[in-house]
Amino acid sequence: MKPEVKQSLLGIIVVVILASMIGIGLNWKLLANAWSGKVVAKSPAGSSQLAIPLPLGLMQVKELFDKKEAIFIDSRDRNTYAAGHIKGAISLPLLEAGTLVAEFSGRIPNNAMLVVYCNGYACEDSVELGKQLLAAGYATVYYFDGGFPAWRDARYPTAGGKQ
Amino acid sequence: MTSGLLKHGVAIARIVLGAIFLYAGALKVADPKAFAGSIEAYRLLPYFGNYLAASIIPWIEIICGLVLVTGWRAKLGATVTILLNLVFIAAMVSAIARGLEIDCGCFKQGAKDPPLLAIGRDLVFIAMAALVLWQDRRNATD
Repeated sequence: MKPEVKQSLLGIIVVVILASMIGIGLNWKLLANAWSGKVVAKSPAGSSQLAIPLPLGLMQVKELFDKKEAIFIDSRDRNTYAAGHIKGAISLPLLEAGTLVAEFSGRIPNNAMLVVYCNGYACEDSVELGKQLLAAGYATVYYFDGGFPAWRDARYPTAGGKQ
Repeated sequence: MTSGLLKHGVAIARIVLGAIFLYAGALKVADPKAFAGSIEAYRLLPYFGNYLAASIIPWIEIICGLVLVTGWRAKLGATVTILLNLVFIAAMVSAIARGLEIDCGCFKQGAKDPPLLAIGRDLVFIAMAALVLWQDRRNATD
C-alpha cells in the first residue's frame, strides 16, 4: 500500500474514532436506553414531575400489534388520521385531549396497555398525550417513536377513513 | 495572477464547505433523537444502530468542518467529506429505489428537502472537497 494511501486511511480511522468517542461519550445515556429499550432522551421537563411514557421501536410495536396486547392511540389530528393510520388505532388528537382523555378513560380500563404514536421522531404529540394518559391513571403507556411513517414504510397493516 | 485567484477561490470553497459541515453537525448534535428519526426513515439500520449513527455522524461532520475551516489537515477533512457524502448519496438512492418517503436529515430535522435536490447538493459538496484535494496535490508537486 502506498504511504500516502496508508496515511489517509489512518487519518480517516482517527477521525471516526475521535467522533465516536465524543458522540458516544456525550450520548451514552441515550444510547444505553436505546440499547435496553427504556426511556430515550426524554428527561422530565423542567420542574414538572409528570410521569413520562416509555419509547418503543418498530419491532416491539409490531409484536404488541400481532399479539393484540395493546391499544393503539393516534394522537394526530382527525384529518391526518383519516388519511391513514395504524389498523385498529383509536383517534385521540392531542388538541382535543382535554375532553377526550376523560371520555376514553370512561370506556378503557386503567390496566390496559397503551401505545401512542404520531408522525415520527420529530413529533412530540405522542409523548405529550402519553403524559396525559399516565396522569389520567393508566399505568402502562408507551409511545412509538417511529410513528405512523415508520409503520407505513414497513408496509404493516394500515387503514384509512374516520373513526 | 490567475494562479493566485484560483488559490483564493479554493480557499474560499474550503472555508465555505467547512462552515456548512460545522452548521450541519451542530444542528444534529443539538437534537440527536430527531436525527436518529431521520436515519430510521431510511430503514437501513437496526433500532439501536440509528441512535449510534446519530451520535457519531454529527461529530464526524464537525471535525471535518473544523479542519476545513482552519486549513489544518484540510486534505484529511476533504477526503472524509467526500466519503461521507458518498455514503449519504448511496443511502438516499437506496431509499428512493425502495420508494420510501424520506426527510433526507441533512440539515434541519423534519425539513422536507426533495431527495434529488439533496443528492445534487451532496455532489456540489464532493466537487468542493475534490477542489481542495486537487489544490493540495498541486502545492505538493510545486
